[in-house]
Amino acid sequence: MSNQRENVVLKASELSKSFSVLGTSDLKVLDEVNLTLKQSSSLSIRGDSGCGKTTLLNLLARLEPADGGTIFWGDREIAAASQTHAMEASWRAKHIGVVYQSYYLIPELTVMENVLMSVRLSGLPITEYEGRAKELLEQMGVVNKSMQIPAKLSGGERQRVAIVRALVNRPQVILADEPTGNLDERTGAEVMDLLLSSCTKEKTSLILVTHNPTFARATNETSTLTDGKLIYE
Amino acid sequence: MKLTWPLFLAWKQLFPSQRKVSFFSLLAIVGVALGVNVMIVVVAFMQGFQQKFRSDIIDSQGHARAVPLQRKIAWRKDSQKIASLPEVAMVSTYVQGHLLVQNRDYHAVPFSMGINPSQPKGVLPINEFLKKGFVPVHGYDSKDITPVPTINSLEDDVVFITQQVANRLGVRAATVLILDDQNVTETDGKVQVVRLDPYVESEEWMIEFLAEDRYKIKNILGSIELNCSLDEPAADLGWGYPQFRVVPGDKPFSKGDRYRFQTFRSSILEIYSPTMIEQAKSDEMAPPREVRVGGIFEVPWQGFHTDALIGTHRFMEDMRGEENVCDGFFIKFQTNYLHDENKLGELCARLEGELEGNWRIIPWFVENAWFFDLLKFEEYLMVLIMIPIGLVAAFAIAIALMTTVLRKIREIGLLVAMGGTRFAVGMIFCMQGFIIGTLGALIGCGLALLFIRYRDSLMSFIVTKIAGEEGQAGVTQFYDFYSLEVPYPWESEQSMITFLTFIVFAVLVSTIAGLLPAWRAARMNPAEALRSE
Repeated sequence: MSNQRENVVLKASELSKSFSVLGTSDLKVLDEVNLTLKQSSSLSIRGDSGCGKTTLLNLLARLEPADGGTIFWGDREIAAASQTHAMEASWRAKHIGVVYQSYYLIPELTVMENVLMSVRLSGLPITEYEGRAKELLEQMGVVNKSMQIPAKLSGGERQRVAIVRALVNRPQVILADEPTGNLDERTGAEVMDLLLSSCTKEKTSLILVTHNPTFARATNETSTLTDGKLIYE
Repeated sequence: MKLTWPLFLAWKQLFPSQRKVSFFSLLAIVGVALGVNVMIVVVAFMQGFQQKFRSDIIDSQGHARAVPLQRKIAWRKDSQKIASLPEVAMVSTYVQGHLLVQNRDYHAVPFSMGINPSQPKGVLPINEFLKKGFVPVHGYDSKDITPVPTINSLEDDVVFITQQVANRLGVRAATVLILDDQNVTETDGKVQVVRLDPYVESEEWMIEFLAEDRYKIKNILGSIELNCSLDEPAADLGWGYPQFRVVPGDKPFSKGDRYRFQTFRSSILEIYSPTMIEQAKSDEMAPPREVRVGGIFEVPWQGFHTDALIGTHRFMEDMRGEENVCDGFFIKFQTNYLHDENKLGELCARLEGELEGNWRIIPWFVENAWFFDLLKFEEYLMVLIMIPIGLVAAFAIAIALMTTVLRKIREIGLLVAMGGTRFAVGMIFCMQGFIIGTLGALIGCGLALLFIRYRDSLMSFIVTKIAGEEGQAGVTQFYDFYSLEVPYPWESEQSMITFLTFIVFAVLVSTIAGLLPAWRAARMNPAEALRSE
């Protein structure tokens, strides 16, 4: 109830994760990481390659279990070390949006069908969200491509579609893992602007993993993951 | 569990947007469709053969045969009693045995049966048998116009024999040819021979028109000359002579129009019975019985004796040297007993009771059980041979879907990250198998229906291509495709069961083929899947 009062949408407490290297020693990538994300806020995470940024996002989304710690999805407390549960999928579908560096659009579907996949997965009525999807695609400047398949889109256009897909069913949090990593600087900047402005407009919180210090600075809070510790700047 | 989105994705992976169909889907569906089509067609044809044999057997020997269990029995009374029952359509008594038949130096020992010719519509459709066994003579300068013999020709000194017996003995029934060298003007009228009894002698006949409506019939020896008119009924010279009929056409006959005919008498057979042989042992040599060949017949049921002779009841009694004898009777029931074997079995048992246990009544399916067991065995064997076709298609589907799983690892990770459960993600691949199986089965059924609809044309095409025009006759004589009744599923319960069985088989096997890829996808760690290159 306390999280609700403070409008905390996602919180991690003492989150730890190690990977076994060559089956012998453990490589600790996250060491008692603490993180709090309030509604409509944004947090950027920077760090060297392989420092555990993507792992942190995966743990927050409960795609894999942590070694220890606690995760709060809103007021829902989850032991991070517990095995992921099928019931969590439903919550994830409705409350978390994901954006990845490689877009991961489904090649057999049109842009509109890709966008509406989030709605389908959430079990929400498609017809009610078609208008919103169109509106978001228009905001992203790709509405004229809605009946195209991803193969006919440029990298920037694909990432805009991926952002719309993440936003369409009004999630509380968007986890963006290097969304501009595959884009040139100008397109990357455009996409970042759109992502940040959309999150602000939609009152969606954002965790942004990036290497780009300019994009990182654009968020409300900035942090760096170093030696398994999340250090706020 | 909401499974609408896995179904949607499964469909889209098989039939992607902006493309009609993926190559894999096309191959998989066509494979299943062909498998289902082949299985249905083979089983439907096997059932068609069974149905044909069933009707052939019933046509050849009725629904049941009554066999006496005692030597002395009141068979006339019993057969009348049976015939009077409402369930019974007709009863035909018979006497049977083996006779030695001789024509010059050729011999045959056919299975011989004596029937009552006064029952033209008896259980055995003799006229149909005669029609089937009738083979016209192909003359160089003449045409065979012999009327097909009927049971009316059957007398005590006339027999019908099967083609095999006729060929072995080198005999034939009476024949009449119309000779080509006739003098006919432009008339389209016809002269026919409407009766040619077994006592007709070999002779040449002529019909000559004296005027448009008058003609004379004469034999070449000049012993008979008969003036006739078209206004009068056809002239009948009586038993032992051909009966001609003149049919006027639109264009009238002209004076001088002449038609020539050549008749050939029927062969005469010498017949010995086992009784005669017994008599010979005690030096009482009896002369053989001379009979004429009244017709040559063929029984559609191959299980019937190929060497057979049919004479009158009295003829067989004479040959056996016994009187008032009956070896049994054939029974045909009303049509509502045609298809229900259980009902027929119960009826036969009831009739046995009504005849006070003096007769055993054997239904056709018991008497020929060996044959139907053999056909069933063949059908099961065919299905067993064909099941691997379905399994091979299933393996192909499983391999293709497994490849898809490996190709779509990151998509699988994404779907879980977006809120899909692992089970639902696995279901995408299982449903692909289901869709392939369902569509393949439906198309296969459609193909099977087309095959059944156009079976004659298709079989003719295939047989002609394999065996050629000449070979086709031989093939179709052995496998009588053209008279097969292969029912559509809406016409027969058995056909419906066949279709449904193979639909369910195809859908099940294809769905099971999707289970392994589904399981592989479901146990994938989404985080690792997203990291994979």
